[in-house]
Amino acid sequence: MSTESPDGTSDRRPYVESPIIMTTVRVITPFVFTLGLFIMFHGADSSGGGFQGGVIVGTVVLMLGIAFGVRVTREWVGPQLPIAMIGLGVLAFLLVGVGSVLLGGGFLEYGVYGIEDASKYGIEAVELAIGLVVSGVVIGLFFITASGLGDEGGSQ
Amino acid sequence: MSELLVFLVVVPLFGSVTALLAGLAWSRTGWPIATLTAVTQLGVAAVVAGRAFRGTPLQYVPGGFTAPFGIQLVVDGLSATIALLVAVVALGVLGYARAAGPRSNAFYATYLLLVAGLSGMSITGDIFNMYVFLEITGLAAYALVATGTGARAARAALNYLIVGTVGASLFLLGIGFAYVATGTLNMADLATQLAAVGYGSPLVQASFALLVVGLFVKVAVFPVHTWQPTAYAGAPDSVSAFISALVSTVAAYALIRIVFSVFTVEFLTTTAFARQLLIVGAVVSIVLGSAFAVTQREIKRTLAYSSVSQFGLIVGAVAVANGTALTGAVIHLVGHAVMKGGLFLTSGLVTNVTGAETVDDYDGLVDRFPAGSVAFAVLALAMIGVPPAIGFVGKWYVVLGAVEAEAWTLVVVLLASTLLTLAYFARLIERMFFRDAAEPSPTTADGLSADGSGPATDPTAVSLGMQVTVIVAVTLSVLLGVGAFEYGQLLQPTVERLLT
Amino acid sequence: MIEFLAARLYYLVSFLLLGVGTYMLIGSPNLVKKVIGMNVFQTGIFLFFIVAAFVDGASAPLLTAEPPYVSPLPHVLILTAIVVGVSLTAVALGLIVRIYDEYGTLNEQSIQELVADE
Repeated sequence: MSTESPDGTSDRRPYVESPIIMTTVRVITPFVFTLGLFIMFHGADSSGGGFQGGVIVGTVVLMLGIAFGVRVTREWVGPQLPIAMIGLGVLAFLLVGVGSVLLGGGFLEYGVYGIEDASKYGIEAVELAIGLVVSGVVIGLFFITASGLGDEGGSQ
Repeated sequence: MSELLVFLVVVPLFGSVTALLAGLAWSRTGWPIATLTAVTQLGVAAVVAGRAFRGTPLQYVPGGFTAPFGIQLVVDGLSATIALLVAVVALGVLGYARAAGPRSNAFYATYLLLVAGLSGMSITGDIFNMYVFLEITGLAAYALVATGTGARAARAALNYLIVGTVGASLFLLGIGFAYVATGTLNMADLATQLAAVGYGSPLVQASFALLVVGLFVKVAVFPVHTWQPTAYAGAPDSVSAFISALVSTVAAYALIRIVFSVFTVEFLTTTAFARQLLIVGAVVSIVLGSAFAVTQREIKRTLAYSSVSQFGLIVGAVAVANGTALTGAVIHLVGHAVMKGGLFLTSGLVTNVTGAETVDDYDGLVDRFPAGSVAFAVLALAMIGVPPAIGFVGKWYVVLGAVEAEAWTLVVVLLASTLLTLAYFARLIERMFFRDAAEPSPTTADGLSADGSGPATDPTAVSLGMQVTVIVAVTLSVLLGVGAFEYGQLLQPTVERLLT
Repeated sequence: MIEFLAARLYYLVSFLLLGVGTYMLIGSPNLVKKVIGMNVFQTGIFLFFIVAAFVDGASAPLLTAEPPYVSPLPHVLILTAIVVGVSLTAVALGLIVRIYDEYGTLNEQSIQELVADE
């Protein structure tokens, strides 16, 4: 792993390769991801929901970035994945809402969907979409802030 | 088909996400998607406005819940006007931004998010929902201001962010106090419950003060207006036009909605400090906004301080609280949006053609760019209040309302405001038409202007779209003035309902 | 007097947080500390809402528990407000990164001097 940034300027955030952190992150990443999904699904009965679960799922990538180096993780994730996650999440939410209008009910009226317990499953679907959006935002913002230089001059 | 109300928010959100996702694959698709969305939004807003002026307000609760447990959307004549204004200005500025503005898909995604936030704020009937849309509007506006070049835009956006967040947080605290007092968040329900709690209760009065001060920050009333000049001057031209025309306008609409639909006119008449708060804010803004506008050196900062003064007038009309003044406030909101947006677009066009950015640069502009100076002069005269432009009609109604209510200090200040507006605009008009240009100094051509980034003085940057948009803004500011009296009649039932 | 304050302790803490946040916003020259002050200010408001929702001796708002319940609505409101606050902090930090790249300093007075020299 590199300890210099590629353009040769003085390194503001020295990356220290630590076998303890790398091993620990390798072991606990799947469990953290599962915890995030668990919290996303259980928002109705206990603490949790889309926002909290999404942040925990986003934290998975943050942990990988801190353990293995931000630049490498950023290349692995790619510039398109966070934007795709945000876009798909919002699109899923809007489709759940507009779908019920197309089926003849009101906006976000879950009862119009023909499945039983439609309200419960509809809310869970929306929570999953929100979780997707939030994790995409967390990952994207981490890479923008940690990279140092703004890409297009915007703060997106 | 009252689901159309929700589509006022869903359509721009959908367009925003589509622009974002399309940017992954194709890089120049932002503008077509944004324009298609804006045209659809205009259609939906026109249909909703056609229905809303017909009688009782339109109501809709998404999700099939009933009010006051669900979030209710309420559209009366006032909300429909604002929603239609948002759609029209969004489309107009898009016509300008095709050649002038930033081109990235991320810019257009944020632009449409701002349109969604503004539309949502104008149609909601739930006070916490209004806070959420207020913050969405704010976030998108901060990001749009930051799309300017250089660190000046970043500093302006950071300043705007910090001051705007404090304002929105005060608004949230006001909502908290109102919720603790009554237990409900629905605006219509809050009106009855607050009356039941009693307008003398400290909770209710503190809630009013916090809500109003929070909105003062968003409307940019003196002395919490400090974010506005730096933000307008540091942002790109299309963004300045859009934000100046709409963000403060919808915040002023929120002020009208809070003062009249949540705390009714009863509260204003029985609580002395409420009226005083509004009047003091109005008077100070009008006088000091104009005074500062006279002393500015950059055109965009002059226009920003002029906004402070004009919104002071609107807050004064809210303080007077009778039918004539309120009609005048709504007319002036619409008119100011068109005129101020047009002024920013024209100044952007002038900068692109001649490189003129400061007041000194505007000397003898009529020789260098006659069409632009005439457009600027017409809009400036409309803003001063020359009949039959819409600036005149709005001010006329407000002054008439203040005279009816016998608020004599306000009448004097309102009449003085016209003179003060004259001071800074007539100065500009005189410089444009009656002075000779300074020797063509090389600094305007080689890019060392005030913000460190060179203005583009190449004629290819001036497209037909930019010129057409400016001409449309100028024409609208005069035509709307002619039609404003009929609009006042159309608004009559809404105003009466607001004042009961 | 002491009982009066003790019964309303959390409200006092909430307003103390508001004061601390405002002081940090205004009094600190470092831009990042201003953003932290903004966060503390918002946290004070969240605490106010949550404290207002609490009922002494009530249980969590679940159907499996027994009444009386703590009011669940402010919790949902504050969840939304926290998300808004996080987004604002993220945008603010992105802008600060850009400002730091341009000026090389995070001290507001130094930045103003640099701008005045331009």
